[in-house]
Amino acid sequence: MFRLNLKIAIRNLWKHKGYTLINVGGLAIGLASCMLLLLYVAYEWSYDKYTAGYDRTYVVYSNQKNANDINSYAWTPGVMAPYLISTMPEVAFASHSTYPNEFLITNQDKSFKKPGIFTDPSFLKIFPYQMIKGNKEKALKSPNGVILTESFAKILFGKEDPINKTVKLSGKHLLTVEGVIEDVPRSSSIQFDYLMSWGMYEQTNPWVKRAGWGFGHCLTVLQLKDNSSFEKVNASFSTIFTRNQKGNDNVGLIHPLSKWHLYDKFEQGKSVGGKIDTLKIFVILAFSILLIACINFMNLSTARSEKRAKEVGVRKAIGAARKSLIGQFMLESMLLAFLGMIVAFILIEVSLPYFNGLLNTTLTLNYADWKFWIVLFGLTLFTGFIAGSYPAFYLSSFEPIKVLKGFNRAGGASLSIRKVLVIFQFVFASSLIICTAVIYQQLTFIKNKPVGYQKNGLVEIPIEGVLEDPAKAILLRDKLLKSGAVSHASMFSVSLTRGGNNTIDVSWPGKNPEERIMFNSRYAYYDFAATLGSDLLLGRDFSPRFNDSTNVVINEAAVKVMGLSKPIGSLITVDGDQLTIIGVMKDFVMDNPYQTAAPMYIRNEQVGEGVMAMRLNPAQNISTSLAEVRAIVKEINPDYPAEVIFLSDSFEAKFNNEKLLGILANWFGGFAVFISCLGLLGLTLFMAEQRKKEISIRKVLGANTFHILTLLNKDFIKLVVIANVIAFPIAYIIINKWLSNYEFRVEISVIPFVLAIVLSLLIALFTVSMQSVKVAKANPVDALKYE
Amino acid sequence: MITLKNIEKYYANKGVKSYILRHVSTHIKQGEFVSIMGPSGAGKSTLLNILGMLEEPTYGEYEFMGEDVLSLNERKRIELYRNHIGFVFQAYHLIDEMTVAENIEAPLLYKKVGGAERKSRVADILDRFNMVAKKDLFPNQLSGGQQQLVGIARALVAQPSIILADEPTGNLQSAQALQIMDLFKKLNEEEGITIVQVTHSEVNAAYGSRVLHLLDGVIKEDLAVEQGV
Repeated sequence: MFRLNLKIAIRNLWKHKGYTLINVGGLAIGLASCMLLLLYVAYEWSYDKYTAGYDRTYVVYSNQKNANDINSYAWTPGVMAPYLISTMPEVAFASHSTYPNEFLITNQDKSFKKPGIFTDPSFLKIFPYQMIKGNKEKALKSPNGVILTESFAKILFGKEDPINKTVKLSGKHLLTVEGVIEDVPRSSSIQFDYLMSWGMYEQTNPWVKRAGWGFGHCLTVLQLKDNSSFEKVNASFSTIFTRNQKGNDNVGLIHPLSKWHLYDKFEQGKSVGGKIDTLKIFVILAFSILLIACINFMNLSTARSEKRAKEVGVRKAIGAARKSLIGQFMLESMLLAFLGMIVAFILIEVSLPYFNGLLNTTLTLNYADWKFWIVLFGLTLFTGFIAGSYPAFYLSSFEPIKVLKGFNRAGGASLSIRKVLVIFQFVFASSLIICTAVIYQQLTFIKNKPVGYQKNGLVEIPIEGVLEDPAKAILLRDKLLKSGAVSHASMFSVSLTRGGNNTIDVSWPGKNPEERIMFNSRYAYYDFAATLGSDLLLGRDFSPRFNDSTNVVINEAAVKVMGLSKPIGSLITVDGDQLTIIGVMKDFVMDNPYQTAAPMYIRNEQVGEGVMAMRLNPAQNISTSLAEVRAIVKEINPDYPAEVIFLSDSFEAKFNNEKLLGILANWFGGFAVFISCLGLLGLTLFMAEQRKKEISIRKVLGANTFHILTLLNKDFIKLVVIANVIAFPIAYIIINKWLSNYEFRVEISVIPFVLAIVLSLLIALFTVSMQSVKVAKANPVDALKYE
Repeated sequence: MITLKNIEKYYANKGVKSYILRHVSTHIKQGEFVSIMGPSGAGKSTLLNILGMLEEPTYGEYEFMGEDVLSLNERKRIELYRNHIGFVFQAYHLIDEMTVAENIEAPLLYKKVGGAERKSRVADILDRFNMVAKKDLFPNQLSGGQQQLVGIARALVAQPSIILADEPTGNLQSAQALQIMDLFKKLNEEEGITIVQVTHSEVNAAYGSRVLHLLDGVIKEDLAVEQGV
């Protein structure tokens, strides 16, 4: 029976190649989209879950109270980890480490700038990377030890054995290679190429030894012996700061490592999701697209019911029970789903490199993984079942007498179900069009929002190596200005697109002593505002013509917070120094373009860190200027690669999340629309068939092609319009919720909605017309002859 | 074998009942060859469909081999039907996607007959109908008469005790029609299969042993046929 059914199913598919093509194509695109999205979701989901004890590992956060909210940072004092080990028996390991930072590592004449971290031996207990060479027990104990990853060891030493060889850190400190570990998986939140000892950190940053509980300068990770003690440990963290430092009202909490990547957003000191929300959208999107493809299948198979009806009638008349017919139709849909899966496979393999490039990921199909096959077959069966269920039950319900006597042509009920299905598809497609449009609007809006400075033509280079000597940095600045490659140059203590370095230790006349307001603390060299291309609202820039060591420039937000009516000349106290305000700058965006600028003060001091900001000479060709800048930097700081960073590029990078969402919504929205159109095409084929006689009679009575086209297309236009009307409120609610995450957001306008309805109507009309023109032009005699 | 008592069938449309069959009572014995005749719309096909359990009467009693058909559940009815009834249609109603052999095999599949026996029964019947050479052809590659032969072969393969034929020769040319009627007669006489056919043709009716004349849903005449055609 099964074999015969299979044979018949294959014959059936072969006989109706057009339908098979539309069906398999639709299912394949649906399955491929679903699998790609799930692959991405699985990739994100796998973050930080590659080690044995990941589920017992936690990252320590500290909640810091501000004027009116609580900010959570995974930045904690260096003294915390040793304290945890000595006081909490529930903690198996605790490690303090720095966040990955790029340093120059040199082996003889080869230099590389790669991310590395300073950490302690416990780090390798919590993250048990396999030690390929060297002794794990002795690693990172002496200050001069370094552990390399396999691929970095290869870059530095080639085929030589790196153990006990030395490399130089930042061109100064000699490090001895103690071991080589496997490469860090892409799914780790902590990406590094080498590990250095905590001792070296203290040696290169002498203040670390003195830093107490008031400093939040490192990452603390701990592993519990047993998860049952989580509540107790977490509770003890709430008072950990107060216990150790009087007046410190920070509150600690531990956040599971497995949630670090996806649940990265905190509000009022509590985890409130984060990337996981986007991920949920993707899962819904994945299954919705698959559902649309299944609906297509249902539509097409029931549309063909007239052709299948006779077969059902005959089979029933010769003794088939309904069950066996259901089985037969299910088998057919499973077969199609299977064919679709094979095509989907090819589509995935072909498109993966492209998507990897787009999403900046390394997704692959892992054929060796049994989970992959289970998901694959599960998905195929699921698709086959969902797609086949309605046609199977519908077709098998025919009464043999009715269909054998001649199928009654009305088929009203099934037609309206088909219409509902098409409406459903277009609701989804239209909603996606609207959402995509709004995402792009929001993206453009944020990108075009004034950042407070002229980001085009503005570049920065890190102050590192010999440039950390202020005299050398100033020499570089002079040379650059003299060369004519840059029109302005200044120094800034932190990269222009980064946050951090803030303090609450600022007071001004009339300050409420209870108030705690976080200020960004910066240092800048002369000519800073001019370099940025930012306007000073009041006062002047730092200038060599004055002695500005006790002067300060603040931003608009600071003026507002301080409530100064005449800021210029006012005295404020910062870190115990009394400073005079000489200028007020416009607010400018630093780390987060989605938030209002924080208050900031800028002092004029040369500290040997941060960046040199430069405005390229607008009168000169950019590549010429760049070459000159690189040559001059290399000449003064020969050990380091001359990295010139365009502000517009680093700014762009801040929108990666939104861009990703936009790209995915665009692509998969496009797929959804395409599959919906396939469904519509199938439905038109059916309608045209069904109304052949009616149309022929109308033509005989004198209707012309245009009348017929209007008649045929009217129904579909109605469906699409209804779908849009339903989609509008749904899309509005969804997109409104998405936008509410942003402090700066576009107003929802009518444009996306108009776009959705126009686009869906155009596409639908085009699809429908492909078929209806054929019918409208056909010779009426052909249709009537057979009646 | 078959007893019908007071069979009524009507469709109610906006409160108006339109009768198809009225007070139909008859008895068909094992081995009879009955022809149902009458003008179009007399209810011939409906009566045949009721006999074939493809339709249910509005009222009345229907006993098939001692069982009250109307009180049986779906599963039992299909069981009864599979084992005892073979259907032959005017438009042949072969399944286009199946070959001749597969079409004939289909009822056996639904009866869950074992593979080996299926093969032998299909081969047997192909042989009897001289269609071995055509067994791998599809219906649309055959002439009408040949298709109807396949239809009859399909009805016979399950070894039914009764064959119900709805104008079996309606779509055929006269030479082919004769051939089919001869086959029916032979089956009836040699194998004792009960045959009930609906027909318009006096010539076809003459092959049978009994004629029921229907007019407007009522049995007007019930005649035995003089043998010797």
